[in-house]
Amino acid sequence: MATKPRAAAKGKTPAKARAKAAPKRAAKAGTALANDDIGEDTRLAIWRSLLEIRHVEQRAYDLFLQNLIKGTSHLALGHEAVAAGFATAMQKDDWSFCTYRGHHHTLARGASMEGVLGELMGRECGLLQGKGGSMHLTSVEHGAMGSYAIIGAHLPIAMGAAWTAQYKKTGQVSVCFFGDGTTNIGAFHEALNMAAVWKLPVVFVCENNLYMEYTPIHDVTAVHNPAGDRAASYGLPKIVIDGNDADEVYRTAQTAFAKARAGDGPSLIECLTYRHSGHSRADPGDYRPPGELEAWLKKDPVPRYRERLAEFGISKDVIDGMDAEVLAQVDEATEISKASPPPGLELIDVDVWADGGTAWRN
Amino acid sequence: MDVIMPQLGETVSEGTVSVWHKSIGDAVSTKEPLFDVSSDKVEMEVPAPAEGTLLEIRVDAGTTVPVGEVVAIIVREGEVIEAKAAAPAAVRAEAEIAKADVAAVRSQSVKAANRDANGNPLSPAVRRLVAEHGLEPTAIAGSGLKGRIKKKDVLAYLESGATRAPGRRIPAPPLSYSADDTEVIPFNKLRKLTAEHMVRSKATSPHVLQAVEADFARVARARTGISAAWKKREGFSLTYLPFIAKAVCEAIRDFPRVNGAIDGENLVVFRRVNLGIAVDLDFDGLVAPVIKDADGMTLQELARAIRDVSERARTNQLKPDDFTEGTYTISNSGVFGTMITAPIINQPQVAILSTDGITKKPVVIETDEGDTIGIRPVGVLAQSFDHRAIDGAYSAAFLNRVREILQTKDWTAVLS
Amino acid sequence: MAELTYREAVAEAIAQEMRRDENVVFLGEDIGAAGGVFKATVGLFKEFGPERVRDTPISEQAILGAAMGSAMTGLRPIAEIMFSDFLAVCWDLVANEIAKARYMTGGQMSMPLVIRTANGGGSRFGAQHSQSVENWAMMVPGLKVVAPSSPADVKGLLAAAIRDPDPVMFFEQKSLYPVKGFVPDGELVDELGTAKVLRDGGDVTIVALAAMVPRAMKAAEELSDKHGIQATVVDVRSLVPLDTQTILREVTKTGRLVTVEENPRLCGWGAEIASIVADEIFWDLDGPIIRITTPHIPLPAADALEDATMPSAERIVREIVEKID
Repeated sequence: MATKPRAAAKGKTPAKARAKAAPKRAAKAGTALANDDIGEDTRLAIWRSLLEIRHVEQRAYDLFLQNLIKGTSHLALGHEAVAAGFATAMQKDDWSFCTYRGHHHTLARGASMEGVLGELMGRECGLLQGKGGSMHLTSVEHGAMGSYAIIGAHLPIAMGAAWTAQYKKTGQVSVCFFGDGTTNIGAFHEALNMAAVWKLPVVFVCENNLYMEYTPIHDVTAVHNPAGDRAASYGLPKIVIDGNDADEVYRTAQTAFAKARAGDGPSLIECLTYRHSGHSRADPGDYRPPGELEAWLKKDPVPRYRERLAEFGISKDVIDGMDAEVLAQVDEATEISKASPPPGLELIDVDVWADGGTAWRN
Repeated sequence: MDVIMPQLGETVSEGTVSVWHKSIGDAVSTKEPLFDVSSDKVEMEVPAPAEGTLLEIRVDAGTTVPVGEVVAIIVREGEVIEAKAAAPAAVRAEAEIAKADVAAVRSQSVKAANRDANGNPLSPAVRRLVAEHGLEPTAIAGSGLKGRIKKKDVLAYLESGATRAPGRRIPAPPLSYSADDTEVIPFNKLRKLTAEHMVRSKATSPHVLQAVEADFARVARARTGISAAWKKREGFSLTYLPFIAKAVCEAIRDFPRVNGAIDGENLVVFRRVNLGIAVDLDFDGLVAPVIKDADGMTLQELARAIRDVSERARTNQLKPDDFTEGTYTISNSGVFGTMITAPIINQPQVAILSTDGITKKPVVIETDEGDTIGIRPVGVLAQSFDHRAIDGAYSAAFLNRVREILQTKDWTAVLS
Repeated sequence: MAELTYREAVAEAIAQEMRRDENVVFLGEDIGAAGGVFKATVGLFKEFGPERVRDTPISEQAILGAAMGSAMTGLRPIAEIMFSDFLAVCWDLVANEIAKARYMTGGQMSMPLVIRTANGGGSRFGAQHSQSVENWAMMVPGLKVVAPSSPADVKGLLAAAIRDPDPVMFFEQKSLYPVKGFVPDGELVDELGTAKVLRDGGDVTIVALAAMVPRAMKAAEELSDKHGIQATVVDVRSLVPLDTQTILREVTKTGRLVTVEENPRLCGWGAEIASIVADEIFWDLDGPIIRITTPHIPLPAADALEDATMPSAERIVREIVEKID
């Protein structure tokens, strides 16, 4: 099955639009595809997203070892399904907010690879012109409304964006991604409470990868499911899902978005997942018990989805073809980023204010 | 023992001392009122907390203080009072941070050239104007605190068209020389001060040099006559300088205006004669300690005083008081046999005398029998005077009087 | 011209802007139905309804987060933080998020919001409800900081703040809420970043802010009547952007600068002014710069203590008589 050729490197057509534009394939009776609510095109969009994230993050790992990426980077290897599943379910004008571990969410919304890699390498082509760095990836044009480095800060901010949607009655949804550790900080409570009271169209997604930085989440949390077991405090149902199954993530997202768009208020979704690398580049992850990583690697969302696609009858050529295609795109983006110069020094003194300037006096 | 403002009621936080019944030194007792207190709720007589004597009243009548604050100190019998810091006022105003100490430290480092006539440092605005117009700060009257010069004082000075110190201190271009050909001797502190003073003096006073030649025969005779006995008695030689100093003091009585200072557009004539004697410190600097009330001294006393200040100068034992209130200065370069010197006035005085070498010279001696040539010890007395204060005629008349005294006084009688 | 109280001017400014632009919304604790704990927002709930005037839980981080999130997606929110002391509770949003979002994202984020708050002492509320913290905001790059001293300035500057495309911290001095003043009729929009010369004199330039301005004016009168000292009084109004030109010009005229600051001594806003003056017009200074501030202590509660601690007109007069010659 030929896939639609990938659009130009900068920006891509969102999954839904591609799915709509693709010619409907006649369902073969008796195949799994025939009765599926998700459908092949959406699945291929999810697959592409998973591949993009996996390859870019792997490339970021390599570039860091080559000392081309400075500072620190918080890689999302292992979290791909959460990002791909939710982003594919989102509309172009929905807003997403994520943490400093946010490369995957930013890519999934459509930000360019060289924008992401360039920002990590501190180059002019970076999404933020080198002004923000790895922890603050933002692409407003794609609805990626920021990656936030202060734990919990963006939950109320995401809630504020939902307020705009509610006030203007646009039907937009605000989606907020955060980790298990965030559920223990004050801003989590404030944001959930107010979102519930005001019935705002915001979906809070907790990527529970079992570790709050270097500490097992269970050692520091009063409940077992850090997000799921707190939902009741805000009058919300407990939702805990397999965050490494992109289809389950996609379906859960759709339900939550429908609820929000209908004016029925927020959702709190806990996605169980695992990160393959340490908390940040500085962390080799020695605090993890032996065997834990191996067990989770067996549930790696990317190979798992490869199998899923095969189960649904998609050919190996298509599956591998997309893999090779995405890898080539990552290679291209890498070269573009490497060739991009460091940001001009004149950028230091711009963009504090809306007029582009930084003056505090006359 | 502290006497405190009592708690007058549950919700009352302060009280006013309305009247003191005792004065400092009076006996006080628990059985009689020491002071009365009022608040908006209560009026009350307060006795002393113990038997004793009233030592100190900290809070005057009519003053309101918080409950618990110390209002007075009494001494009980046998009690020793420790010096305690006064209880802090309810509010310590920001100004109480030891600004006085800081200001003193800061102003000590201000150079003399950046101070006004009263020693106050010049503000930046004043310094700028002074530099721009080439002014002498000591010539400008200050209307600020402690007589400091304010910007408006400088502007008023400029507007009044008062005489300006000619020539601004323009820094010379840097020297270039090779290290091999030179020995660089940095200015010591004294040299620096001297340099500043000399430049400033020349910039302030229009100097005129006038000289007379005096015949020291009589002085020499008297001196030689007593020389050995003097030396034996006093332990030092009797030089010409005390004679000259005596003559100067006496001449000042007749011509007091050389003994003064300029203040704005006034010549301040001093009634006292405080004679500055310039002393060379082995080529390492020049100081001019002052002999106060030199005009009241005998020749012998003058000689001893001169000896004293010279010795103390050379052994670095002069005190700040030795430099204050000088009214006239004598600079004795003659030790080295100079012919004439044009000394620089010791500010803020208006004149200075240089005594140069006294050497035997052939002179014309007028007798009734006609003129003959004789050999006499002769020396030049050269005065630099500030032409703002006096004119040449006055200066000349003064010098003439000095010479007259030297040449005609019965010095032998004076010394016996 | 109408005579309004400072608190009425707040409500009028917000109403003026909410009528003009339907994107202007307002949230805070007790601001709607109750009209605000200081009664500074009376009437807004009635006129604009619960969708535009929203009462929130006691959740300062959520309040400011909601303001930021809505500001970056098209609304122009006004957020109230009831007492400026409480900014410490949500300071992350102020200093780390709102102030820095535009810069960090290379200019992508827009943040047209106003945080208004009741600032300062004089109301006997004790140390945690009486602080003057406009200097905290001044120190964080990316925030505009305004502190008006009169009803007319409140109305005009708050309107300007709401129309400003950048985040503005609007500090209302709570002790000034009942003070009356004349406010021009009709639409009023002032200009941020402008100081005002309220009084002209040749001997000393007093630079003051917010609640210290009326005290400085009172002191200036007494200095003139009883001591023959003529003082210029400059109301700074905006700390960021700072109208340095007016301040420098007025200090150059007299050669003497006195600041009157409600902040505790260290790093009060006047320290920065003193620094700028000492740097840029040093050669026009005719004497040391004097800062009159609250001492570097938490503010005591009892009325006698509080009054003696905050700079008063009497203290301003006393310091100037002692030190300005």
